[in-house]
Amino acid sequence: MTGGDDMTEPRDHDREHDREHDDERVARDVAALEAMHELAAAHALDALDAEERAAFEAAAAASPQLRAEADSYAESAAVLGALAEPVEPPPGLKQRLVAQLDGLPQQQPASRALAHARRRWFERPGAILGAAAAAIILIAGVVIGVGWPGPNGWGAQLEMAAIAAAPDARSQTHEVAGGGEITLVSSAERGRSGVVVSGLPELAADQTYELWYLDDSGAASAGTFDVSGDETRRVLEGEFIPGVAVGVTVEPAGGSPQPTTEPIVVIPT
Amino acid sequence: MRRATRSNRGTRPIERGVGVESLIDPRKQDPVLTLALDSDMLGVVVDGGGTPAPAPAPTPDELLARVGIGDREAFAALYDVTAARVFGLVRRLVVDPAQAEEVTQDVYLEIWQTAPRFDAGRGSALSWMFTLAHRRAVDRIRAAQAAHDRDLRIGARDLDVPVDTVAETVEVRVEHERVHEALADLTQLQRECVTLAYYEGLTQREISERLEGPLGTVKTRLRDGMIRLRSALGVTT
Repeated sequence: MTGGDDMTEPRDHDREHDREHDDERVARDVAALEAMHELAAAHALDALDAEERAAFEAAAAASPQLRAEADSYAESAAVLGALAEPVEPPPGLKQRLVAQLDGLPQQQPASRALAHARRRWFERPGAILGAAAAAIILIAGVVIGVGWPGPNGWGAQLEMAAIAAAPDARSQTHEVAGGGEITLVSSAERGRSGVVVSGLPELAADQTYELWYLDDSGAASAGTFDVSGDETRRVLEGEFIPGVAVGVTVEPAGGSPQPTTEPIVVIPT
Repeated sequence: MRRATRSNRGTRPIERGVGVESLIDPRKQDPVLTLALDSDMLGVVVDGGGTPAPAPAPTPDELLARVGIGDREAFAALYDVTAARVFGLVRRLVVDPAQAEEVTQDVYLEIWQTAPRFDAGRGSALSWMFTLAHRRAVDRIRAAQAAHDRDLRIGARDLDVPVDTVAETVEVRVEHERVHEALADLTQLQRECVTLAYYEGLTQREISERLEGPLGTVKTRLRDGMIRLRSALGVTT
């Protein structure tokens, strides 16, 4: 430990280092997103190999712009399908299909409210959150953003795309109790995760959605978000460690240091 | 959000430059040309300025919406109006009839399961179905066929498929013409790459091996070709 006079210098140096680090990361994220846009046309033609396809689709899940581009190419590619000569399928196919519908549940859309009532989260069977909820330990101080670009903007989108483009990226979509859908995109390699939410109701002005990293030791806030428009993206604050669960609760505006309501969704990883 | 002009179907001419061509070819301004892989081409009479269509049959978009709420009759009707198109596309990619039938079955089961999630704002029902069918067919090819099997098929086909008699309607013919016109906007090399990808199910890498050209060049041609195609088809951005 050095003397008081020296205290500020290393911190400045650290901050500068952080800034440089951030700049590098943003540059890398921009490059990652651009690389994904380069793949959009080939994706629509199904001309990507399995790995490229997975990376592209994870990135598209996180980026509305990329998805819109993919849609426009898909519409064009599908027109090529219309050139193929129509061929009547074998006569028995239709009956076989219809006979199978009974055993085949339909996937419900994101926007449709779930019929089942909410249960308190610690009553959910098998939830790792039983432990989490029982062991609520107040953790002083919420980790606030660590210097990378802000919650819902372009920076978040780049960050999301970069997470999604990581070789080990994983995407999980869950329905939210009360309506809506949330997709968690995570990368252990990057130690980051982000969510894309759609169809969640807008909250009253004195409320906010709050994200949590949940593990056996309790719940750690990963930031708050409010929904606007069709879709909201949010990169989680703090480090993503595989095995942790990600939960969302409704909290008083500004967020809470610990969850005060039952989660509307919990995503185990 | 990019959207296809299909949302303008039947009301406005396709958004494209009005050039000399359009002056000498009245079809260029015919509303019937607005269909961009539109469900209207499947047997619903498009009103091209003449008599109104009497009691139009439900379009695939309408049927798919009903399928999305679990309507089995709508599913059967959707199958009736689209199966030949979907099976035709699958057969084009998966040559073996038994496998093509399996793939088609999987496609329709997936349509049933995922119809509630279909987002009409992102494209037409038929293009969504073609997209599902193409992907499943390509996956089947890649899983089941050795590369040399595909080699044998290369060259045996031509993009200029004969216009079919099963569902030959004015709308389908016009659609074919329109797509051919759009493809004509591509350079020969772009067209080659796009068709090898779409109709042969090759990956970019496989195309580059096939053409014995650099992968980067293939990627560029595919992308530029699709950009031109998109623009010629009037898929707006």
